[in-house]
Amino acid sequence: MIATVLGLLLRAVVVLAGTAFITFALLWNAPGDPAQAIAMARFDSFLTEDILDQVRQEAGLDTDFWSAFGAWLGPLLMLDLGNSAVTGRPVWPDLSTAIGYSFPLALAGLVIGLAMSLPLAILATRRPGGLLDRFAVAVASLGAAIPAYWLGLLLILLFAVHLGWLPAMGARTPAHAILPALTLGLGVAASLTRIIRSGILEARSQPFLPAIKRRGVADRAIGRDHVAPHAAIPVVTVFGLELAFLLEGVVMVEVIFGRPGLGTFLVGAIEARDFPHVQAIVVLTALLFVTVNLLIDLIYRVLDPRIGERNA
Amino acid sequence: MRSVIALAGAILFFALIGPFLAPYDPTAINIPKRLSAPSAEFLLGTDALGRDILSRLLHGARWSLGLAFLISLIGLVVGTVAGLLAALGGKLADWVVMRTTDTFLAFPDLVAAVVIAGLMGAGTWSLIFALSVTGWMRYARVARGIGLSLQSRGYVVQARLAGMSPWSVARWHFLPSLLPSLTVVWTGVFARAILGISALGFLGFGVHPPLPEWGTMLLDARIHMRSTPLQMIWPGLTVVISVLAINLAGDALRDALADKGTAR
Repeated sequence: MIATVLGLLLRAVVVLAGTAFITFALLWNAPGDPAQAIAMARFDSFLTEDILDQVRQEAGLDTDFWSAFGAWLGPLLMLDLGNSAVTGRPVWPDLSTAIGYSFPLALAGLVIGLAMSLPLAILATRRPGGLLDRFAVAVASLGAAIPAYWLGLLLILLFAVHLGWLPAMGARTPAHAILPALTLGLGVAASLTRIIRSGILEARSQPFLPAIKRRGVADRAIGRDHVAPHAAIPVVTVFGLELAFLLEGVVMVEVIFGRPGLGTFLVGAIEARDFPHVQAIVVLTALLFVTVNLLIDLIYRVLDPRIGERNA
Repeated sequence: MRSVIALAGAILFFALIGPFLAPYDPTAINIPKRLSAPSAEFLLGTDALGRDILSRLLHGARWSLGLAFLISLIGLVVGTVAGLLAALGGKLADWVVMRTTDTFLAFPDLVAAVVIAGLMGAGTWSLIFALSVTGWMRYARVARGIGLSLQSRGYVVQARLAGMSPWSVARWHFLPSLLPSLTVVWTGVFARAILGISALGFLGFGVHPPLPEWGTMLLDARIHMRSTPLQMIWPGLTVVISVLAINLAGDALRDALADKGTAR
């Protein structure tokens, strides 16, 4: 067990290092002069060669690739994300403010998604092939095909423009979060419904269930002890994917609804070529996903001990 | 299987023939007729520059569907080669390929595509690159999984003992068994590529305007949501219908393969 955990950890470190390196290489080799972009974002006006030189020096662009990478990586190992190339402020406070906006939104999306998909999937699988089941499948298929940005625009059209019930743009009041959270939640609900539904159906078809039933075990107890744990495995598996979906959704939704947060932070940083900002968000995302995947791997081995053996 | 062929045909049809069906030039600006409602003259109305929306949608099929097709094929080739390399190339190759796959999978692909396309600058090539880079991993995983399970099959062992090179084994014994599963993966990647292209277009990192592309059209339409909401409905609906059709075909194909597997 300890060897497995160490192996998984080593894997996580390799993946993290790889992501950081690839992003940095991409930033470094991207076409155009990054100093120009940074200086534009900083001064927004006429630029002389002196200013560009100064920017280059301050942002550490006047060295070669490896020393620049080292200059960024060194402090990172001490958990220092560096300073923004545009504002000169430390990255972490600004980034944590952005997370403070995005995290509740993602959480609300996940909760809405679960609250809709779990009952729907459970009710749908009572009678597989029935009317409700077909409805659930249709909703799930449709939901998987609707891009978040279009759904968001449709919700704005209905609730903000036509009905005038909810505000659409910005993040001033809690009411501003309703439409973004709903946009995210509907998308999550669609994919979760599909996964939970097939998880339950597969769990129901386990060969030993009829035997247990004939022994006189109540349906409720079978559901709790034999169907639910089995159906949980695919749901845990896709949690990583769900998280990716949430993060992508947050990026799109924030742009649509003009909310501050990680998405706006990322798009702004890319446009300004703000090295430390882009790197910080990329590394943080990779860290989040590596951690989640690590946990999933471990939970997996607890839920289904066979998995560890197969991989070994 | 029939549904997939029909689908591939329909998509090819629209990507190739679509532009010829268009009643107008998709980039022809006609300011007096700007933002007009659907009518006999402009079946779906016009946009803010008076360009015919139907023509733009039909021409856009070449960008949205054609590019997605190209991207999914690039992923197919790269991913299959990587997956087979992992399955056949020994322990070191397997480790390197799978850790690379992990690295790319450790990231939400749309976010990665936004970073890549954003840094490379808007344009068709960076769009293709960004979505190809993030679209090959699923193929690699499937190809490696099936490849590994085939390794110990009798006929593969026989072929190897008879002196067949790994390359020929891959070509003659692995590829045919891989194709059905890879086709299923392909439908998923294709659908995601359509969504990715329009998402990047919507964020302003996509195909250069004035080229018609569905996501960019949506971005343009967004500002005029109040006056002409229909303008925003059409491109979105087109994306949804395409993606839905491809996903359903993929599901049908997977079910057909599963039936075949149990019948054997």
